[in-house]
Amino acid sequence: MKKIVALILVACMIIGAFAGCGKGNGGNGTDANGRPKDHVTLKMYFHGSNVSDDKKVLEEVNKYLDEKLNVTLEPIWGTWGDFDNNAVIAINGNDDVDIYFTCSWSADEYNLFAKRGAWVRLDNPENNLLEKYGKEVWNLLPEVLTTGAKIEGSDGFGVYAVPGYKDIACQLCWDINVPLLKKYGYTVDDIKNTDYYGLGEILAKVKAGEGDNFYPLLIEGAVAERMVDNSIIVAGDSGSTNLLSYYINPKKTSDLGAYGNKILNKFATDEYKKYVTKTREYFLKGYIDPGLANAEQANNLRSEKQLTGQYLIGTQSYSLGYETQASAERGFEVAFVGTTPAYVDTTSSQGAMMAISTASKNPERAMMFLNLLNTDPYLFTLLDFGVEGVHYTKNSIGEVEFIENERAKYSPWTNGMGNVTLLPPQKGQGADFWTKFKAYYGAADKIPILGFTFNSDSVSNELAAVANAAAEYALTLSVGAVDPETVLPAFLKKLDDNGMQKIVDEANKQLETFLKNK
Amino acid sequence: MAKNKTATGTVSGRRKFKKNIILLTMVLPTAIWLILLRYLPMFGITIAFKDYKIYTKAPGLINNIIHSKWVGLNNFKFLFATTDSLKMIRNTVGYNLLWIFLGLVISVSFAIILNEITNKFVAKTYQTLMFFPYFISWVVVSYFVMALLDPTNGLIVKWQINNFGEATNWYHTSKPWPVILTLANLWKNTGYSCILYLTAITGIDKTLYEAAAIDGATKWQQVKYVTLPNLRTMIAILLIMNISKIFNSDFGLFWNVPLASGSILDVTQTIDTYVYRSLAATGGNLGMTTAAGVFQNVVGFVCMLFANSIVKRIDADSSLF
Amino acid sequence: MKAITKRSRLGKPALVSEISFYIILGIFCAACIIPFIFVIIISFSSEESIRSIGYSFAPVKWSTSAYEYVFQLGDQLWRSYFNSFFVTIVGTVTSLLMTIMYAYALFRKDFKYRNFFTFFAFFTTLFGGGLVPTYMVCKQLLYLSNNYAALIVPALISPFNIIIMRTFFISSIPNELIEAASIDGSGEYRTLFQIIIPIAKPGIATVGLLTALSYWNEWFLAMLYIRDAKYIPLQYLLMKMQNQADFLFKNASVIGVEASKMLKDLPSASLRMALVVFIVVPIAFAYPFFQRYIISGLTIGSVKG
Repeated sequence: MKKIVALILVACMIIGAFAGCGKGNGGNGTDANGRPKDHVTLKMYFHGSNVSDDKKVLEEVNKYLDEKLNVTLEPIWGTWGDFDNNAVIAINGNDDVDIYFTCSWSADEYNLFAKRGAWVRLDNPENNLLEKYGKEVWNLLPEVLTTGAKIEGSDGFGVYAVPGYKDIACQLCWDINVPLLKKYGYTVDDIKNTDYYGLGEILAKVKAGEGDNFYPLLIEGAVAERMVDNSIIVAGDSGSTNLLSYYINPKKTSDLGAYGNKILNKFATDEYKKYVTKTREYFLKGYIDPGLANAEQANNLRSEKQLTGQYLIGTQSYSLGYETQASAERGFEVAFVGTTPAYVDTTSSQGAMMAISTASKNPERAMMFLNLLNTDPYLFTLLDFGVEGVHYTKNSIGEVEFIENERAKYSPWTNGMGNVTLLPPQKGQGADFWTKFKAYYGAADKIPILGFTFNSDSVSNELAAVANAAAEYALTLSVGAVDPETVLPAFLKKLDDNGMQKIVDEANKQLETFLKNK
Repeated sequence: MAKNKTATGTVSGRRKFKKNIILLTMVLPTAIWLILLRYLPMFGITIAFKDYKIYTKAPGLINNIIHSKWVGLNNFKFLFATTDSLKMIRNTVGYNLLWIFLGLVISVSFAIILNEITNKFVAKTYQTLMFFPYFISWVVVSYFVMALLDPTNGLIVKWQINNFGEATNWYHTSKPWPVILTLANLWKNTGYSCILYLTAITGIDKTLYEAAAIDGATKWQQVKYVTLPNLRTMIAILLIMNISKIFNSDFGLFWNVPLASGSILDVTQTIDTYVYRSLAATGGNLGMTTAAGVFQNVVGFVCMLFANSIVKRIDADSSLF
Repeated sequence: MKAITKRSRLGKPALVSEISFYIILGIFCAACIIPFIFVIIISFSSEESIRSIGYSFAPVKWSTSAYEYVFQLGDQLWRSYFNSFFVTIVGTVTSLLMTIMYAYALFRKDFKYRNFFTFFAFFTTLFGGGLVPTYMVCKQLLYLSNNYAALIVPALISPFNIIIMRTFFISSIPNELIEAASIDGSGEYRTLFQIIIPIAKPGIATVGLLTALSYWNEWFLAMLYIRDAKYIPLQYLLMKMQNQADFLFKNASVIGVEASKMLKDLPSASLRMALVVFIVVPIAFAYPFFQRYIISGLTIGSVKG
């Protein structure tokens, strides 16, 4: 035993000797044209890529970057399948990656990793990266994004990543199978003019007509609950099952909602009880597929039924132009009916971001690069769409038409790349697409607590326990698979026993401080 | 006389020394591998007792660890912060004990039966087929189970409706799951341990069987007095190894096969699934991840030492060390 | 005693028991193979069939779209097959060599440090530094990144296999044999390779089989250490496709348009099954190679009662 302890100690010493190496200084010194002197390679980790051959693109990109910034870009094309695991290991293992994709929903979550010291604070008075090298991009971004990016991190309250300009607002919608609705003599307006509690008649008629094996109501339990109750996700809430609710005003989202500026135990409100009771009724009448109550089955089941039109009303989060695309993909007419106007909350404002890693040896150059990428249409289009004439061509009105063969080998994820409004419109979008885009998202209201993120560090033990309790009940309740009369009280008791109130109190305390400082 | 003794003593001493050196050279490559890839990273265990943060001034795993705050046993607390602690420990240990016992009995019997089957072609075929489940991941198994139990399309569900007019709500009824999980586990792992016992049987000295046959022993007596005693070392070793994992569970089995369904958590929640959900909720803190592993392994280690000492008392040759 | 002899001469109970053996094992083996048949059926089911009636033994419509989807990978598929074979063969041979030598030393009762090294190996099955520290040592200290070594070295040693191998040695090699060899003046290495290994063939084949299977099934190492498509083994190539589909299903509402576009073309359910077929078929062919040694050991061992 002693020998083993000694061995471990020796091992630690060897490792220690390898640790800690100095940082380079890539920002200083420029030549006559304002081009930095030392040549630098930047590694950038992307999400959602589908890239098997990037030679031609990188040749062009690096020629251009060399001229502008004396930089060579080395992208790491993370895919939907591997990014979550690998990026987190790379960050914790101190890989020499300069820039990471981050956001409010990937595993290298923006707030969490800012707190843990993974990202360089960009407006840190010590380095002032944003002020020195990032002014252009910062001025170009809408205010909701720059507000949403300011968070509490390892180096104080500030900006830890450059937000991407994409569909920044959130709007939850009923997703409607229009041909089926018409078949039973209803129109989309009939749904617009009622609410969840008034759908019973339509659902009954369709269920009777389509038979036993047809389930008209295809809901994602948690989403439907938010739509019906006008509650939203509190950023920083449990990542598996949401436990907290903040109620917004469904008429005007910048005004206060039913409970004011207060965070609530999601499951203890009257609204929640009313929702689950109605849903139970719908479930018992056979409007909801029982498979939706099984956690690992629900997602696949919903996507599949949605794609094949085996539903009447579903739940969907909307982005501009989605009706046309969804109708084309599914092969029947789809309509979306929003339950609130589009709004911007913390989660949606942090939908896609680029953060500079604290492991980067050249944070200055990385900032210069991010600034250029998000402001230069040539560079952005090149990196996202590929080389004109090779990967795509432009038609008479300036829309992009892809050359399928080449594009199949080079398709990065557009929304994960940054400022998508720099792109030319794609075929079918129309020449004025980006004007419409900016108008739609520019009109979206901010919710009153935009920028607030709950920091659960001080209650992480309670959060772990409560999230496990919620895993036991929340999904089945929200799709009506169990009887709320008996189950809801048991659930609430279990939440209390495991410290739910402590979490809610802590969240409200933090919210008060946040509002005071605002 | 005395002189002579010391002389042979040193000769055999030198010989012993040389032999030990040569045996050391055999151990060396693996020992180096173990030091580099297993012992060296062990400094990471300290993360379990720290509030792991990246040291932004000069990031690097060592620096990060050194500059992170000590938090004592704080990272372990979440394992016991829930009212379900006992339930999940009961499930983890209970299933393990049951499966260690059933697995042992079934694998050993199957190995003996395979050995007794006179048609070697059939034996070969059987043995090959038994290995197929090893390749099928739990996710795929969960699809198979779903084909049987799906609330709308499941074969068993349809059969129940046709015959009784009403079907069990399988994914929301706790009772059948201990049986389903046990069957799934045996199905998947029997082939693997069976082959180990089978190979151990091939190592048994054949003359023992011949002698027994001459004495007029029946098949059953041969098994009882020759095969089983000779398998005891393998049985003991596998037992000790399994007991060392008594606080661990097969995550894929407990997560995918019941489709992570909430209503049956009282019989499907184990330490691993609890940890997984906790980490998903709190954002995958490295300190908590490491702490959970350390907890499971320390307990496993103690159990293993205990099991080893019991085996040692019964049969010194069969113990691990 | 006499009575027993009589009964066994009659042969009837033996016959009955043998038949019941066939039946018991037969049922179990059927249970083992039916899910695999199910896998094959689903892999050839059309996506519409799965979407409308779920996973079923009798699909409404057949389709080869899952296989076509995999074959779209083109050269990468064959390159990955090669990588998997290469890694499995080199890895298994090296691993076996190291395991045999280590286990042999532990098997020798006269080895002074026997207990220490047994514990030294076994301790690592229970305690490890965790994923991130191991990752850092491998990548930054040992340069296991984007090369074949990264796929082979981290999986070379399994303490479990060492212990199993040692147990095989204990149960199949009589101590007198070692003593005799030592008296003959045979060197330790010669004893091991010329006397011990031929006797321990079934045990070595078994451990070899288990090692080969784990190399063949390995995808985690590739995920950690390989970025260059040149070195991606088959399991990881297929795993990536699967993970992609899973991730898109899970996050479809966040990712929106682009996710649903990809999902539409993805034969996700049948794909998963086709991937199993791609993995299992080659190893099923390699299986008899190992089995020969294991079962041949049995043929001699089983004496007619």
